[in-house]
Amino acid sequence: MPLTPVHPQRLAHWGHTVQRQWASWRFMLQLGASVLVLALTPGTYTPLFQATTARRLVISTWQVLPWFTSLAALLSLVLIRIVVVTALSYGLSQYALQMMVRVLVLELIPLSAAMFVALRSGLAFNAGALPTVSATGAHRVQAPPFERLRGELAPQVLADAFSVLTLAMVSSVVALLLAYLTVYGLSPWGLPGFTRTVGQVFDLAVSLGFMLKAFLFSMAVAVVPMAASLEAPPATSTMQPGAVRLFLVLLLIEAASLTLKYI
Amino acid sequence: MNPSETPPSSDTTAHLERKAGLLLAGVAAVILGFVLYVMTARGLFESTQQLVLISDDSEGVIVGMDLTFSGFPIGRVRRIELAQDGKARLVIDVPVKDARWLRTSSIFTMERGMVGDTRIRAFSGILSDPPLPADAERELLRGDTAAEIPRLVASARAILENLEAMTAAESSLNASLGHLKTTTKRMTGRYGVLSGVLGSDEQAQKIIQTLERTNTLLTKTDQRVFGNGGVMDDTQAALGSGKAALDQLHSVLLDTHQTLKNVDAVLAEAQAVGINARVATADLGPLRAEVEASLRKLSQLTNEVNRKWPFARDTEIKLP
Repeated sequence: MPLTPVHPQRLAHWGHTVQRQWASWRFMLQLGASVLVLALTPGTYTPLFQATTARRLVISTWQVLPWFTSLAALLSLVLIRIVVVTALSYGLSQYALQMMVRVLVLELIPLSAAMFVALRSGLAFNAGALPTVSATGAHRVQAPPFERLRGELAPQVLADAFSVLTLAMVSSVVALLLAYLTVYGLSPWGLPGFTRTVGQVFDLAVSLGFMLKAFLFSMAVAVVPMAASLEAPPATSTMQPGAVRLFLVLLLIEAASLTLKYI
Repeated sequence: MNPSETPPSSDTTAHLERKAGLLLAGVAAVILGFVLYVMTARGLFESTQQLVLISDDSEGVIVGMDLTFSGFPIGRVRRIELAQDGKARLVIDVPVKDARWLRTSSIFTMERGMVGDTRIRAFSGILSDPPLPADAERELLRGDTAAEIPRLVASARAILENLEAMTAAESSLNASLGHLKTTTKRMTGRYGVLSGVLGSDEQAQKIIQTLERTNTLLTKTDQRVFGNGGVMDDTQAALGSGKAALDQLHSVLLDTHQTLKNVDAVLAEAQAVGINARVATADLGPLRAEVEASLRKLSQLTNEVNRKWPFARDTEIKLP
């Protein structure tokens, strides 16, 4: 069968798309790196920066912490109950606790926290920065000015990242408490066995992977939608800018984590 | 509305900063506490001693696995390595506070079931033995369910073959059952168990006849022995006369007894006489001595007289 010759215009279109994607990903990474550098620079923490960051923290974390923790506790309780009852019915109760810790604390709760923060604040962020439209109609990505980055964008990114970490950690601790109470009740005599099980799950590789995954989730949720908003063409799509990319990044992080952990 | 568009007042800013500080401190405390809890759970704050278990197969053993004693975890696998001799070395950390359960006589087993993970167990039968020293090396005994299956299948096959041989048409068991059936069938016949035991009705009939004869013989014997004028009556009469003879013999014996008593008295008197005679005999000796002395003196006197004159005689002997 003869090969159909590729039209030169289509080739040019593909090349343009690849170039635009590359520039977009590069801008996103650059924005994240800039925010990290700003966060690690002591000179950044001016009173104005602190006040702005505090306000963002309260909005992104303080207001949602009780609700998200309650919701996560409810879902965790349901899952724990299902796992415990199923494991008991199959005579595998010794594995129930380990399975709950692995499923809930290591996988589901961090992912839920990331999705929740992404839906609530990350994707709702509208930078209001209209990208520059060139004469050819293609938009060109431009880095935001430093003052805006420090005064507005960095606090937002830090607050969102902190929100993911906080929700994940607090919900994980609550889930652990609920798992203990479901399995052992109010008796304190199950604590050594429970502690040993938690210790068996959180070996060095899993602990480092958990911390790295939580950090990457938080940065992805904070940076990806903001970078997409900053470079989005005006009113070209009804979809929130960066949504697809954020879910793709979260999926990649989760898949990489699972691959490294279990393969 | 973007919150950054409205400039907050100083009170609001301080309030927000307080809340944010509280949030930061709280989350930092939660993270720090969780990290410390995990470190405690991993046993990083426990002082441990090392135990090396040597096995020819470490399949199913993973790092972090528990070593249990009576169902309680007392150790944790820290490292698995392959030794120069090709055996697996399981390096186990045992907390010092739990090391007292391990003794020099303790044995260690690795059990692998059909379902579930591998278990390493310690058994200390004699807790008064000296404690296991640190860095001790012990052999790990294996109890593998999966490895037992082929042997189990072979045994089951042998058993089934035996069972098949036993239940075959020409088998001994079948023949025995056939014989048993024949015997029980005979037992249900006219002469019952006797036919079953003796083999035929004729033999059983003979036994029955013998029994009847024996019965008749017994009847006759009863009449002869216990009947009127039978052997028993004669025996009873003989016993009566024997008793009378015995009574007479008894009186004779009593008389004899009395006579013997009299004889005893006579003997006692004879004994007294004998004693007197013995005394008299004892006195005869001195009397005789005295008589002999008197006779000797008389003889001497006679000789003296004879030697005197006129009664002297010539006592000189003259040779021819």
